[in-house]
Amino acid sequence: MQDTVTTSALLDPSHSSVSTQDKSSTGGHTSSTSPQLSKPSITPVPAKSRNPHPRANICRMRRIIAEDPEWSLAIVPLLTELCIQHIIRNFQKNPILKQMLPEHQQKVLNHLSPDLPLAVTANLIDNENYWLRCCMHRWPVCHVAHHGGSWKRMFFERHLENLLKHFIPGTTDPAVILDLLPLCRNYVRRVHVDQFLPPVQLPAQLRPGDQSDSGSEGEMEEPTVDHYQLGDLVAGLSHLEELDLVYDVKDCGMNFEWNLFLFTYRDCLSLAAAIKACHTLKIFKLTRSKVDDDKARIIIRSLLDHPVLEELDLSQNLIGDRGARGAAKLLSHSRLRVLNLANNQVRAPGAQSLAHALAHNTNLISLNLRLNCIEDEGGQALAHALQTNKCLTTLHLGGNELSEPTATLLSQVLAINTTLTSINLSCNHIGLDGGKQLLEGMSDNKTLLEFDLRLSDVAQESEYLIGQALYANQEAARQRALNPSHFMSTITANGPENSVG
Amino acid sequence: MNPPGSLEALDPNVDEHLSTQILVPSVHSDNSQERIQARRLRIAARLEARRREALGEYLDGKKESEEDQSKSYKQKEESRLKLAKLLLCGTELVTNIQVAIDIREIHRRVEEEEIKRQRIEKLENEVKTSQDKFDEITSKWEEGKQKRIPQELWEMLNTQQLHCAGLLEDKNKLISELQQELKTKDDQYVKDLKKQSDDICLLLERMEEQVKNVMKTFREELYNIEKAFEVERQELLASNKKKWERALQAHNAKELEYLNNRMKKVEDYEKQLNRQRIWDCEEYNMIKIKLEQDVQILEQQLQQRKAIYQLNQEKLEYNLQVLKKRDEESTVIKSQQKRKINRLHDILNNLRSKYAKQIKQFQEENQSLTSDYKRLVMQFKELQKAMRHFALIDDEKFREIWLMNEEEAKDLIARAFDVDRIIHTHHLGLPWAAPDFWFLNNVGPISQQPQKSATQIVEEMLMRSEEEEAEEATSEPESYLDLPKQISEKTTKRILMLLCDESGFLIESKLLSLLLPLEQNECYLLRLDAIFSALGIESEDDLYKLVNFFLKYRAHRLSSSLQIKPCSQASMEKASMEETSTRSELELAEQTEMEGEKEESLVEGEKEEEEETPPSPWVIHPNDVLKILEAFVMGLKKPRDSWAPLRVQKNVCDNSKDSEYWQALTTVIPSSKQNLWDALYTALEKYHLVLTQRAKLLLENSSLEQQNTELQALLQQYLNSKINSELQVPPTQVLRVPTK
Repeated sequence: MQDTVTTSALLDPSHSSVSTQDKSSTGGHTSSTSPQLSKPSITPVPAKSRNPHPRANICRMRRIIAEDPEWSLAIVPLLTELCIQHIIRNFQKNPILKQMLPEHQQKVLNHLSPDLPLAVTANLIDNENYWLRCCMHRWPVCHVAHHGGSWKRMFFERHLENLLKHFIPGTTDPAVILDLLPLCRNYVRRVHVDQFLPPVQLPAQLRPGDQSDSGSEGEMEEPTVDHYQLGDLVAGLSHLEELDLVYDVKDCGMNFEWNLFLFTYRDCLSLAAAIKACHTLKIFKLTRSKVDDDKARIIIRSLLDHPVLEELDLSQNLIGDRGARGAAKLLSHSRLRVLNLANNQVRAPGAQSLAHALAHNTNLISLNLRLNCIEDEGGQALAHALQTNKCLTTLHLGGNELSEPTATLLSQVLAINTTLTSINLSCNHIGLDGGKQLLEGMSDNKTLLEFDLRLSDVAQESEYLIGQALYANQEAARQRALNPSHFMSTITANGPENSVG
Repeated sequence: MNPPGSLEALDPNVDEHLSTQILVPSVHSDNSQERIQARRLRIAARLEARRREALGEYLDGKKESEEDQSKSYKQKEESRLKLAKLLLCGTELVTNIQVAIDIREIHRRVEEEEIKRQRIEKLENEVKTSQDKFDEITSKWEEGKQKRIPQELWEMLNTQQLHCAGLLEDKNKLISELQQELKTKDDQYVKDLKKQSDDICLLLERMEEQVKNVMKTFREELYNIEKAFEVERQELLASNKKKWERALQAHNAKELEYLNNRMKKVEDYEKQLNRQRIWDCEEYNMIKIKLEQDVQILEQQLQQRKAIYQLNQEKLEYNLQVLKKRDEESTVIKSQQKRKINRLHDILNNLRSKYAKQIKQFQEENQSLTSDYKRLVMQFKELQKAMRHFALIDDEKFREIWLMNEEEAKDLIARAFDVDRIIHTHHLGLPWAAPDFWFLNNVGPISQQPQKSATQIVEEMLMRSEEEEAEEATSEPESYLDLPKQISEKTTKRILMLLCDESGFLIESKLLSLLLPLEQNECYLLRLDAIFSALGIESEDDLYKLVNFFLKYRAHRLSSSLQIKPCSQASMEKASMEETSTRSELELAEQTEMEGEKEESLVEGEKEEEEETPPSPWVIHPNDVLKILEAFVMGLKKPRDSWAPLRVQKNVCDNSKDSEYWQALTTVIPSSKQNLWDALYTALEKYHLVLTQRAKLLLENSSLEQQNTELQALLQQYLNSKINSELQVPPTQVLRVPTK
């Protein structure tokens, strides 16, 4: 509307003569430079409008400029521009966005401040660009790929992470997080917290007084060092898919106390209840948190028959055989695809129970038992399980005190199995003979792509030959990936040939 | 017409054919045959490819592949391999650190475990030894309590102290050892931290190096690949250019060839065109001339049409005007007609009123007329009564006149016969026989023969029977029952008696009581009278019918039944009568018709009766009477209806017979006799002459004449006597009397 009015108003001078137009345009240019410096966003407009003008001058002296929709005097900023400026300035008080035309929306979004309160912007603005600016404004390093490629999601996830990281139970108001909940519930899919602060140190110093007040509580072995209870938050986030928690304190420096690093029973129970209630959770990680057998069992029990859980990561904890047995039970009572028990204290019995569960499992794709101590008994049990399993593709048994017997069994598995693509046996005591047997097994295998045997006392020669076989497998896999049709045809062509031969 | 054209026309077809042949059959085709073909081809191609692979991989596959694969591909492959190796090495290098740490950790753990175990062992040992020591000390305390001597006690206390100190020292030593260990562990931890930081540094370094390396190599490889692509592109361009030029040249040559061909064709076509054009021109001219002629004709026709049109127009205009005028006239007439209609309506109304009046009038008239008619009918009935009365009277008169005339005629006839006799006897000297004619016996008119009632007949019959009883043989000829003479009186009588006896139930009981004192015959008569009234038998005929019916029934039964029945004489007689009755059936009809000829038939009947009297032995059994009666009553009802028309016929018939009768009377004297008379007359004339001659004889004769007249008077007297009037005596008797 505004545009048409202005152009119609400008019709007269343009119609009068060309020379006046020139003058006016030049005059406009000169005038625009001086008063409009304050608005750098508008200044390009006359420059644009000037471009066609000389051309028109050259082409047709008598051409009427009213036909040019881009032409404007540019002395006066457009009313739309003024309105947009106003809207931008008063966005916090009066957020108008959806009612505007798309181009104007874009303009407004481009000029909004990233410091606006989230209560205004969270549910109103979906524009990625704005959130990109917000993220860049707050954090120097942004890996948007970790957040599903969505800047908005990244902003809220990291914002929430920050809040959680610095939440001190007892002193920080829980409303801080709960207020944010309605704003971010639709955008947060992943909660990654690598630090849970315990209650403030001061009460710990005042503990004698406290103890005098309530001696019964103070006498408990675990002082009240419970961390933030995630229950409310998790229940509030409707799209939560990944929960990555580390009950840890960073940068404690000289204030180190063992108390800081406690993952208490109450924490554990509340966490278990929270994840049990969250039916959208797909990935659950709880690492470096001193989770022992009992706590692991509590958590695993809450995860039994979870509808969508796919990945469980309990690495870097203190889980022993009982916890492993619980995990084995979980394997047969869920759709778990990835299980990570790296760097725990699983021994042969735990590995055996895991192997028992694995033997008939059809969901698990990846199993990581790095840096445990399952020894040959557990290794053999796992190898037996792999003879019947048709699903597992990745197996990590690095640093498990395995030796030759396991290697012989594994070589048999390699000859049979067609699903395994990656095995890691590094840091074991396979020995020379074991290496040879593995090499024999490898010679019959066409699917294995990775086989890590570093620092496992295997002869260089056999390691090299295994590497060659792996390379051949990789090439074949690559060919398959490149043109599956050809691969299919060769397979089908091979089929009858084999049957004939 | 022209070969090149046809060839050209054929070419696309050939091409199409070829293309269809070449066209690869599709698996998704609609035609099932084609699909099968396609699958076969695919399988064949696969087999071929596999064979080639099998051969090629070992023999010349590599060469082929190398030849096939372009430089860029080779370069890409090389780069890929190189990069893959690099990446693998890099990751290995980086992960090596992890692995190393892992193994170190494992070693540490193992060591730690060992140390832990040792430490626990040591502690346990320590505990044991210290416990022993403590036990020793405590046991010594017991000993010490028993000591009474202070020196000894002191000594012992000293030793105890020493022991305790030793124990404490041991403990302290252990603690210090452990502390030492802890310190070393701390140091170790610090070292480990350092090591870890070093490792991390190394890791970072390596990673960085790796990244740099990879970047560099990637760039290089990219550059190489691009270069290879460039080179390949250049080559490809050059080759394509060459190809292009070759193709262009070929194309040019072909173009030239085509041009030449075309030129030739163009010339050919031009020639053909010229020919065609000339031919067309001629044709065109011919057609043109023809068409022009047509046009002229059509123009003429057009003008004619125009003239006709004008004429018609004028006519039509005239007609229009006429019609207009007629229209006007018609409007006028219409108004007139309207007026007329109004008038007529008035008239119609008047007429209607008149009509209504007339209807009333006529109704009145009709009423009067119907009353008249009724009156007239009454009158007519009266008239009819009168007529009937008069008819009866007429009949009577007729009868009287008839009788009178008859008498007269008979008189005359008698005279004539007399004369004739006289002539015969006197003049001719011949014996004279009186002529016997049927009509001579007739008395009264034939048509007016009165019908007797059944009772009368019965009465008569009974009377007769009585008479017969009285004088059996005397008056046989007099029993002149006027009815079927064939049936004998006896038979009828018997039948009637039988009837009377059997059907008593038809008679009222009162009547029976009244009848008791009466005579037998009268009793029968009254009884029969009652029975006839009950059965509906009125006339003579009915009676005979009844009788006949009985007889017929009998005959019928007879014919069917046996003939062995013993028969008496009386029964035989009855049978004979029955026979006659059966025979007289035919004559019964005659009888009814010709009642007038009573006398004749009577005579005949008599004769017949006399002739036929063979006995027949049958009797009506009384038990059958009722059955016969029932059947008769049933049969009687029918014929009664046809009586009325019969009467008229009868009258007509009778008239003719009357005339016949009278005619016959006239010819009583036959012509031969007249001739005789004529001849006699002439002879008598002559005789008269003779007589005249014999005048004298006349006087003599006169006396004789006187005698004659006297005799004649006597005769007259006799004829007019009473007996003659009462009993109808045949004239023969009368005539005979004088002869005697």
